[in-house]
Amino acid sequence: MTVKTQTRNDSLVAMTVTRRGFVKMGGALFVSLYIPGTFTAKAAESQASLDPTLLASWLEIRSDNTMVVRTGRTETGTGMSAYYAQAIAEELEVRPETISLILGDTDRTPDGGFSAGFLTGMSNVRKVAAYTRQALLGLAATHLGVPVSGLSVTDGLVSGGGQSISYGKLVERQQLDLRIPVEGKQAKPDPNGWVGMTSLDGFTVTGDPPMKPVSEFKVIGKSYAVPSIADKVRGQTQWSCDVALPGMLHARMVRPATLGSTLVSIGDVDKKQFPTAEVVKKGNLVAVVSPNEWEAISAARALATGTKWTDWAGLPGSENLTKALRDYDWGAPAESKGKADEVNAALASASKTISATYEQPYVRHAPIGPFVAVADVRSDGSTTVWTHSAQSQGLRARIAFVLGVPVEKVVVRWLEYSGQYGRTTLGGDGAEGDAVILSQLTGKPVRVQWTMQEDMAWSTVSPGWVADLKAAMDANGHLTAVHSASYSPHMFDPRPLGALLAGMPCSTSKPGNWIATEWHYEKIQRLEEVYGMPNLAADSASGGLRGNIMRTPGQRQQNFALEGLINEAAAAAKADPVQFRIDHTTDQRLIDILNATAKAAGWEKRPSPHRGARKTGSSAVNGRGVCIMVRSNAYWVGIAEVAVTPARAAVQVTKFTIGAECGKVINPRQLDRCMKSGVVMGLSEALKEEVTFDKEKVTSTNWSRYKILTMGEMPEIKVVQISRDDKGFGGGSEAANAIVPPAVAAAIFDATGVQPRRIPLTPAYVTRLLKG
Amino acid sequence: MASELTLSVNGAKHQVSVAPETPLLFVLRNELKVTSPHLGCGMAQCGACAVLLDGEEVRTCITPVSFAVGKQVTTIEGLPAVWAEKKGLNAADAAKTLHPIQQAWIDEQVPQCGYCQSGMMIAAAQLLAKNPNPTVAQIKDAFTNTPPSPHLCRCGTYAAIIDAVQRAAQAMKA
Repeated sequence: MTVKTQTRNDSLVAMTVTRRGFVKMGGALFVSLYIPGTFTAKAAESQASLDPTLLASWLEIRSDNTMVVRTGRTETGTGMSAYYAQAIAEELEVRPETISLILGDTDRTPDGGFSAGFLTGMSNVRKVAAYTRQALLGLAATHLGVPVSGLSVTDGLVSGGGQSISYGKLVERQQLDLRIPVEGKQAKPDPNGWVGMTSLDGFTVTGDPPMKPVSEFKVIGKSYAVPSIADKVRGQTQWSCDVALPGMLHARMVRPATLGSTLVSIGDVDKKQFPTAEVVKKGNLVAVVSPNEWEAISAARALATGTKWTDWAGLPGSENLTKALRDYDWGAPAESKGKADEVNAALASASKTISATYEQPYVRHAPIGPFVAVADVRSDGSTTVWTHSAQSQGLRARIAFVLGVPVEKVVVRWLEYSGQYGRTTLGGDGAEGDAVILSQLTGKPVRVQWTMQEDMAWSTVSPGWVADLKAAMDANGHLTAVHSASYSPHMFDPRPLGALLAGMPCSTSKPGNWIATEWHYEKIQRLEEVYGMPNLAADSASGGLRGNIMRTPGQRQQNFALEGLINEAAAAAKADPVQFRIDHTTDQRLIDILNATAKAAGWEKRPSPHRGARKTGSSAVNGRGVCIMVRSNAYWVGIAEVAVTPARAAVQVTKFTIGAECGKVINPRQLDRCMKSGVVMGLSEALKEEVTFDKEKVTSTNWSRYKILTMGEMPEIKVVQISRDDKGFGGGSEAANAIVPPAVAAAIFDATGVQPRRIPLTPAYVTRLLKG
Repeated sequence: MASELTLSVNGAKHQVSVAPETPLLFVLRNELKVTSPHLGCGMAQCGACAVLLDGEEVRTCITPVSFAVGKQVTTIEGLPAVWAEKKGLNAADAAKTLHPIQQAWIDEQVPQCGYCQSGMMIAAAQLLAKNPNPTVAQIKDAFTNTPPSPHLCRCGTYAAIIDAVQRAAQAMKA
């Protein structure tokens, strides 16, 4: 297919292009892609970061017309690498399959920034591609003797005046001396900065290069494959757990007996039984290393039995969490949004008010693969870390701070691994702290593999919370005002555990909280307030129950409470819950996806609870419930259908319909996959997940104690997508999990007449609910 | 103490010198560089480390390597050869052929992070060997209730797995 260029402003960039010879950059112009099976013993030979203003730092065109594109963003499993390739291919008029991506390596990619900031990441590479296209057309105009306005491009071949030349031939043995305008800062440690960093946003490509209008998209909007999937299926992916360096030691950690214990005395390792095992210790950081992984495991188990720790019991116990949160002196809100006077006046003059308290326990990311990292710390301080952290630049800065070296001394290489679901988004948590400390102490490359039990006991968690809500209704059953106040421990503490236990410096953030909801009910006055506190047991040797963000952070919690209240208000007004939402917004995007999703679910308009609702009986009673959410320019609707068996307090979700309108859909199949899988995670959170702890330690440390949804519990899932050409791009990969719990809770209300105000909806809680 | 053991993995024989109680997982990954089985829970609760041992799924995180001596170990790296042999393909065709399960996993774009998917494909291979035409309910049952534990996917790809198993079943009948 051919796209004429006349519709674009041709002159912006092309005039600035000059040509010159190769520029040495990072050792070579054409940085070779990662070659499976080999790991350079030391990547930190050229530690300087790439200059983000050079085109070659972002994009190389090879003579065979293939391309290498670099971005510091990473693939978290939601298909972002496909979307990047599609965006680049769209602007450059090439096939996505001709593009190779280098992701997340701090020495080989220019920008860094959040994996969560997919939209800015895509904007960066799309703009780079647009700038490049203009430059290439300028070269082609000269080469072919045809004005830019007379050129067209098909599959990387520029044609005009009866001749054509490929991009690859245009730049053969040359480099485009094209400057890419950027703003932003590289991540550096800053104990006073947000999450202890100067910036975690990375660089943003600025300017306004001419870009293809949505109406001309040919690649964006099609279901391209995610580049890495084929290798994963063949068993050819090199995962971060596969890194093996010459002379590398395997390590297993021996963790304290409780969250707050300190080391009293260290046990022995029988050299006859474990001839190659060595004990390594710094502060409260204890490990066994060996060239043989099984020997390290076995010796660490033996060492753990003989190692003594102080007693400690500083946690409230998870069954007392809400009370502990209630007992805390919260002080002033960390953030407040809305109009206090109007909301208070509306509450004072309301025909009817509703008050409700919602709560949730601690939950965790719980990947299938526990943390792993390899580090090689050299005597001159130069350090290479191989990891799957979703925030390589942030991790680099954090590790540099731990080791007390400039960030320029540290290289982070990114590889695929088990999903992180937000826990490494702030560039911390994980095994990297352990690995660099052990490598420094042993003088050898060290691979640290956490166990699942260790991960579930010691990795960061998404904090529990309570929320108090009040709503004012007028005589017509309209909701006029909502006041929500949400209370939660720290949610931004990604300090590496190894460094905490070893007593090394850890840059971190001040405890706080923030308002994540995006207000879409314009007809309702709102006052949202959030309160923050430090980690539970923050003073303990390990830093306490370290809180961290988790998929759809903030909104996952706040929206559960808010949408629960909207459902309660709809019921009080005896209004249909879909129509009630429509009646309180003027946002047509929201109304459209609500109507489309309700139609797909076969929604009949009526109030909840339904006529046959009951709290008792040994047969199942059905219910349905709805909720909405707006996040990152994406509109979400969830409709749950449940069968509740009151006598057994059993909740079975029988069907879930999920609708999303996230502007222009980039890749419908991947969005479909992300929506369905997000529903699975959301159902897991709604029905099963809870981090339990006693006064000493986390107790939900394996899959029989931290239960997640199994395939057998998955209902029929129906997907509704609306793609729009006039609203840009929205975030479709993340948020599906967060619309599940409020919809399931609303469906239980519809079935039983009792509104759940807590998750997970376990039989124990549902029993209390139905008897209450 | 280390013993000299002979293992048969994906059709090739290997001599290894390892302690016989070492879990098969670590021998495959570290000694033989067969890296598709992944360490997950380490206690047979998740399925990320699953391989076929004489055609039966085992969890290599708790299976001593000595238990695999004299048996055929098959991982997803070896699935294409299993299929090529079954279809009687010549070497040239075999080299470019994937097992229909793997092809279905690509066609349905099943993996997200993909960490559990090696074990999922092994579970699919075992299921389809016993039931060439499973219903959705039978697929759910197999991935959930087959001992020793459900196969867990934290990314939540269960719907895609069901689609892929059914696609693979069709392809294997053709």
